[in-house]
Amino acid sequence: MSSFAAPAHLLPLSTRRRNSSTNAVVSHISSSTSIIQCNLPSLAATSSSQNPKPSKSSPFLLNSIISPKSLAVSAASCILFHIAQPILSGSDSILNYSGGGGGGGGGSGGGGGNGGGEGGGFWRFFSPEAVAKDDDPQQEWDSHGLPANIVVQLNKLSGFKKYKVSEIMFFDRRRGSTVGTEDSFFEMVSLRPGGIYTKAQLQKELETLATCGMFEKVELETKTNPDGTINITIPFLESTWQSADRFRCINVGLMPQSKPIEMDPDMTEKERLEYYRSQEKDYRRRIERARPCLLPMSVQREILQMLREQGKVSARLLQRIRDRVQQWYQENGYACAQVVNFGNLNTKEVVCEVVEGDITQLLIQFQDKLGNVCEGNTQFPVIRRELPKQLRQGQVFNIEAGKQALRNINSLALFSNIEASIQPGGTVSFEHRNIKGLNRSLLGSVTTSNFLNPQDDLAFKLEYVHPYVDGVYNPRNRTFRASCFNSRKLSPVFTGGPGIEEVPPIWVDRAGVKANITENFTRQSKFTYGLVMEEITTRDESSHISANGQRVLPSGGVSADGPPTTLSGTGVDRMAFLQANITRDNTKFLNGAIVGERNVFQLDQGLGIGSKFPFFNRHQLTVTRFLQLKNVEEGAGKPPPPVLVLHGHYGGCVGDLPSYDAFTLGGPYSVRGYNMGELGAARNILELAAELRIPVRNTHAYVFSEHGNDLGSSKDVKGNPTEVYRRMGHGSSYGVGVKLGLVRAEYAVDQNTGTGAIFFRFGERF
Amino acid sequence: MAGQLIREWTAIQQFPAATQEKLVDLLGKLKNENVNTLTILVMGKGGVGKSSTVNSIIGERVVTVSAFQSETPRPVMVSRSRSGFTLNIIDTPGLVEGGYVSDQVLETIKSSLGRFLLNKTIDVLLYVDRLDAYRVDNMDKQVVKAITDSFGKKIWHKAVVVLTHAQLSPPDALSYEEFFSKRSESLLKCVRQGARISKKDLQNFAIPVALVENSGRCNKNEHDEKILPSGTPWIPNLVHTITDVALNGKEGILVDQKLIEGPNANERGKLYIPLILAVQYFFVIKPIQKWIKDDIARETKPSWD
Repeated sequence: MSSFAAPAHLLPLSTRRRNSSTNAVVSHISSSTSIIQCNLPSLAATSSSQNPKPSKSSPFLLNSIISPKSLAVSAASCILFHIAQPILSGSDSILNYSGGGGGGGGGSGGGGGNGGGEGGGFWRFFSPEAVAKDDDPQQEWDSHGLPANIVVQLNKLSGFKKYKVSEIMFFDRRRGSTVGTEDSFFEMVSLRPGGIYTKAQLQKELETLATCGMFEKVELETKTNPDGTINITIPFLESTWQSADRFRCINVGLMPQSKPIEMDPDMTEKERLEYYRSQEKDYRRRIERARPCLLPMSVQREILQMLREQGKVSARLLQRIRDRVQQWYQENGYACAQVVNFGNLNTKEVVCEVVEGDITQLLIQFQDKLGNVCEGNTQFPVIRRELPKQLRQGQVFNIEAGKQALRNINSLALFSNIEASIQPGGTVSFEHRNIKGLNRSLLGSVTTSNFLNPQDDLAFKLEYVHPYVDGVYNPRNRTFRASCFNSRKLSPVFTGGPGIEEVPPIWVDRAGVKANITENFTRQSKFTYGLVMEEITTRDESSHISANGQRVLPSGGVSADGPPTTLSGTGVDRMAFLQANITRDNTKFLNGAIVGERNVFQLDQGLGIGSKFPFFNRHQLTVTRFLQLKNVEEGAGKPPPPVLVLHGHYGGCVGDLPSYDAFTLGGPYSVRGYNMGELGAARNILELAAELRIPVRNTHAYVFSEHGNDLGSSKDVKGNPTEVYRRMGHGSSYGVGVKLGLVRAEYAVDQNTGTGAIFFRFGERF
Repeated sequence: MAGQLIREWTAIQQFPAATQEKLVDLLGKLKNENVNTLTILVMGKGGVGKSSTVNSIIGERVVTVSAFQSETPRPVMVSRSRSGFTLNIIDTPGLVEGGYVSDQVLETIKSSLGRFLLNKTIDVLLYVDRLDAYRVDNMDKQVVKAITDSFGKKIWHKAVVVLTHAQLSPPDALSYEEFFSKRSESLLKCVRQGARISKKDLQNFAIPVALVENSGRCNKNEHDEKILPSGTPWIPNLVHTITDVALNGKEGILVDQKLIEGPNANERGKLYIPLILAVQYFFVIKPIQKWIKDDIARETKPSWD
């Protein structure tokens, strides 16, 4: 093997353990982890043997842990994708390989990997470190037992001794000099200074080097040292081919490997020519059949440049090309892509054969907590529809697509569960999740502090969620929801203006049923429409139903003849109305800052059904723009751009407007610097806000200005609560703030009184 | 009101003969114009002497008045008839409460009006304030505005500005006449502003001013009539002004359901709701849906897609 005649093109010569397919595993274990796994069995097998450093092409394993939910029932569902099919099977036994068990992502279904293995041909070139060195270097070693400073041929070494290598050197015969340790050839050897090796290992190493295609000729010499160790010198003659001025990259994945025909040494010259010609023809056909690869022109041009600069094509150059090509694939998420061969050498063209990692089969498996494959409850189509197209069969595996699949599946929050619980605190709850394996769920809870007399503070919720209304195979993503609800809120309508003594509060209790359909267009944009039927009860502080707000008389007394709280005038309203909400949201995070725009239109359309036949059209339009003020490079650790936020909110109502549905002005989500409802309650409102966000370190500081106006429509709310409680009906504010994690700390000045105050708030204003 | 017996205006006898004579004269004038009923609404801030003025006109203590607790808790209508002629005077609580115009009081007044004289008209509004106040402020304007908002601008066609506490000695360097004209002018200006009467409307809204002195220490003339510092007996003068206004040819304010309840914003535009809904669907929801589609089309696909 020492003399390696460079053929016109290189084909794998001996056992080539190659897998051009990919195992991708997504598993969903006990609802707490989802794993997606791509197994390149051959790589897994070879690289798992003993790499001093993690190989670039090691199988990757993603563990994404979503918040673990404790389940009372341990019927865990787990989903696993297994995307693999030996496509080369049947062509030759050497091309049958088993899935490498390396990586071991929760027990993938692959067969047991046979590590190491006979590496050969050009393949070795690309995974040199895969050379098997079966046992670890041991502490004990044998002295060479020879005089110092003599050169010993490899075959003169004793087969029974363990030699300690203190130095390894490559000697380039063509240049007549040793090459530095930074040279790429050093990647080729698994020998390391300080290691302890037997003669057999050294021989194997030499064999590996000889067959890797890098060298025309390579030898291994040892030199004895006085301390009993040996130095290794590897004199070599680098393989070179004629210069090339064309470069082509082809995807040979899914292609049967052409089987090299053994060359008969007794062939005549003519036969030999014939043989070469037929091989060349085969190869041309192969190139033609190969699919174009994903490598962009820019990189191809770059490589062409490398070829031109170099002149002769050398093994080192090919190595650099391989590195460059693989780097591009890695950077773009094609984690399974590998350069497997260079062909057509000694012609004007260098052909780079790439296996991009085509997905040949998609399997969904369920695993239990221990990673054993089990039967799942969730129906496969539910999982399958969450997979990006790029993860379907026939596509090139991309780790980003895998991550996306993982995120999608995690966001389904799939876990099958039936649970009921009674807590001594007064909550009875039950849940039935992932019904029929279609992720339908039924959840309910009832809370009261006193079950014997529950009418005081009964809080209940019952919700049924039915995804995939249009069928699980239909790409349209509509979810039906039906719920019973109740809530109790302090009405901001009955709030005093600045300097007004405490206004007696009014509580608004709502209880009812709601049914709607949500159509998700994108992750953030959606359209919801449905029917709401509810009963609204307004109560005073002592929970008595009150038909009118209270007001404090100048004398200090309280009179209960304030604005009416309900439409019916009784304190209890019932109504049915249609509700629609369309949200368009294309905001995204750019280095941590939100940019994009969001528009929300919400409509409540009364049907004339209910107390006093309420017929109304209540509408709100919110427009928010996050304008990026500077172009920045996108990437982790890069600074976010300064952002200008412009926000407008219009709310209006035509028709019957009970006070609890009036639009209130003031508050952290309306006009900052004021209390909730401090500016008034009106039929039509307009709010405008602007905020400038300047990135500071890894957060941002901001200045803002806001204005809210009742457009003179406060008097159009029955009883004019704005005026009764002495509110202005409009107001502006400005201030500065800084975002500290989830908390906003801001100083806001209210322009009606001209005073400022510091506020701490959770979450975002916009 | 229908069921309530209207008392005979006996107290008119209590007036001095000269006053009686003039009043009868004025009533006769009204009757000549076929006006058999005169309804007067008295409004103003609290404690300016509305109730006292009512008592003075009727000639008896029909409304309780006390010096310090100046609040009339709710509107009171006093009706007196004399030889087929009915005089209704509605006294109301002060419109200012705790430094603000009280909507609540206005509401009460309106609902009382609904009870007292549904589908009848208000013939005269007496807007009462004090002469001896030196300044008009925003509050006065607010009061006028509130009255205008409730009864409409046209009520000022039928209004008389009444200035009480007319018997005063003006501050130094001002004659009584000067003071009076300054005070009434500033108040009228305020009324015009509050009622949003524009300059060119000025002629249309000639609001007369009458002076009143309800105090028992009011000077009297030789006929025992209460007189103003100018020597004019003020009761006949006031009634005269009222009569003039009543007969000024402008329509009175009809008290109907609409006036009592105010404009019902809940009813406004209700008919257009189907139209609004259609507009919202085609011009708001549809465009947003289209934007979403555009977003999806424009979305920067990840490099692997």
